[in-house]
Amino acid sequence: MSTDTTPPPIGGLSARSPLGAGASRLQRTGRTLPFGDRRHQEAHQWLTDETYLLDAQRYEEWLTLLTEDIHYLMPVRVTTALGSGYDTSPGMAHFDEDKYSLSRRVARFLTEHAWTEDPPSRMRHHIGNVRTFATADPDHLIAESSVLLFRSRGDVNEPALVSAGREDLLRRGPDGWLLARRTIMADEAVLRMQNLAVFL
Amino acid sequence: MTDQTAVLRDVRRGMIPAHIYNDSETFALEKERLFGRAWLFVAHESEIPAPGDYVVRRVLEDSFIVTRDESGEIRAHFNMCLHRGMQVCRAEMGNASHFRCPYHGWSYRNDGRIVGLPFHQDAYGGEAGFRRKGQRLLPAPNLATYNGMIFISLDPDAPPLEDFLGDFRFYLDYYTRQSPSGIELRGPQRWRIKANWKIGAENFAGDMYHTPQTHTSVVEIGLFREPKAEKRKDGATYWAGNGGGTTYKLPPGDLDERLRYVGYPQEMIDRMKAAWSPQQSQVIGRDGFMISAASLFPNLSLVHNWPRVADSEAVLPFISIRQWQPISENETEVLSWFAVDAEAPEEFKALSYKAYLMCFGSTGMFEQDDVENWVSLTNTAAGSMARRLLLNSRMGLLEDGVQVSPTLTPDEFAGPGTARTGYSEYNQRELLNRWADHLERPQPRAATVEVGTGHGPDSCDAEPAGTDTAPRRSEGDPKETRS
Repeated sequence: MSTDTTPPPIGGLSARSPLGAGASRLQRTGRTLPFGDRRHQEAHQWLTDETYLLDAQRYEEWLTLLTEDIHYLMPVRVTTALGSGYDTSPGMAHFDEDKYSLSRRVARFLTEHAWTEDPPSRMRHHIGNVRTFATADPDHLIAESSVLLFRSRGDVNEPALVSAGREDLLRRGPDGWLLARRTIMADEAVLRMQNLAVFL
Repeated sequence: MTDQTAVLRDVRRGMIPAHIYNDSETFALEKERLFGRAWLFVAHESEIPAPGDYVVRRVLEDSFIVTRDESGEIRAHFNMCLHRGMQVCRAEMGNASHFRCPYHGWSYRNDGRIVGLPFHQDAYGGEAGFRRKGQRLLPAPNLATYNGMIFISLDPDAPPLEDFLGDFRFYLDYYTRQSPSGIELRGPQRWRIKANWKIGAENFAGDMYHTPQTHTSVVEIGLFREPKAEKRKDGATYWAGNGGGTTYKLPPGDLDERLRYVGYPQEMIDRMKAAWSPQQSQVIGRDGFMISAASLFPNLSLVHNWPRVADSEAVLPFISIRQWQPISENETEVLSWFAVDAEAPEEFKALSYKAYLMCFGSTGMFEQDDVENWVSLTNTAAGSMARRLLLNSRMGLLEDGVQVSPTLTPDEFAGPGTARTGYSEYNQRELLNRWADHLERPQPRAATVEVGTGHGPDSCDAEPAGTDTAPRRSEGDPKETRS
């Protein structure tokens, strides 16, 4: 059973993005928090509550859970030889978002002309493997999770899946935890979904 | 195989049998007669800047290793070991002086030449049994570049790339030569859509008509101010050589003012003015047309738009190059690159990248709605009813062939080819006419190559002595990759 203490590469990807300059650089410290730890329980509940909003496409509420300096990053995965030292496409991502660009995406879904979600998809974000870590700042936590998104559209095509690992930086706010940084590592180099008009 | 004569005849008069967007027989013909012959984009030189850099790209099912060899030459080799046919490179990008097949350990220099053949003497009796000397991975039958864009053709008798591109090069320069250093590519994002590959190519080639409807939402949220219906139809579409595209009509101003209007900083404008011909500058500066989407036959598209990327009135231009890689009659892999002038300031590069992500690619707010439509169209085209429907793709022409809008004169549009303002489907017809030309012309069976018998690829013996650089590592210890 690994309870690694060194940050995996995913934790540093935000800092390497050309759009990640404003994001928090905080990384995990120490071992995983025990499942009985109150911080772990709060983070796990936060993730579960967030998932409900994403499944229901209640994106305006979701936006209120994000900090003003959020960096929301989903690198493009590439197939590289073992030992090459990288498995993401240099300088390219699927999502590389700040609060403004996320707010535009949400605003678009709220128009009457976002055809790709009208009729809406039936979506289920299955999350699991939640691990949490303290950071150097007691008001920040790292939460790791895996997510499997099932998305069904219409009645002709097969449903589409996206499997990914996530690393989140949560920040304590006046009314609970807020998402300050999210890195989403898709498990496919070629996505099998018609678009990412979704959030992970 | 069903006789396609009637289908091709209908296509040529702008009446499109709807089933061509989801038909296995049509796709089989496309594979053989179109993708077996046309020049196809595989990579840009900026993706493999250093010796040994490689990317692996496909032409339908055929995998090619596109490398820069030790002498700096760009090469593309079929990614199949000459021994048992294993893929010799299973990564999609990296840097390697050699490629070693994992099956029996045959290895190849990054210029394709075989360098390691274990137990050559013991197993084959040396050269007398298997002629190793001069053997190389099968090269792409044709390879050429334009502005750093690497194209291959599977047809050894393909016309020169320059002739194939023709006057479309004039327009390609706007996307790929904004300075003497040209562009650099990032990506691609890759994803599969359940849509026929032709739909995207047609859309980017000339479909200004879809913009106000499909993309209403991006105007409503303040992302892009241009596509309002009354503005879009003031743009011109053009067709030249084997490609064509769309433009927006910009407000009054000179070249500098109009390039600033779409968000270019003055230092980039100065480089554009030095890199472009007077005619290329005139299309924007005198005529007021700014390039937007375009397609090069058969399946490469480009786009240049200038959205708002922050909560301010400022706009930022971006360029994307994308390929509609066919998987089947109803599935396409989209490869979408972000492209930016190599000499652009770093801050511009970062914001232009942001503009790209907001608009196009796997998460792009334009692209999301396009793909939804194209998937739906492909599904609907699958059945028997679609075979009864001839879609009217004659927009811009009266029934008697008279044009709705006149062709622009050289005084109105300085670029080569044929240009017209307003909504029309001239470019979609140009694209599908070329498609019909290929589909009706059988492709002769390609010559076969024997491995190890002395009847190998001709290029082996023609290898110039100057490229024979010594491998950095000994033959006994070929290394697949270097860090």
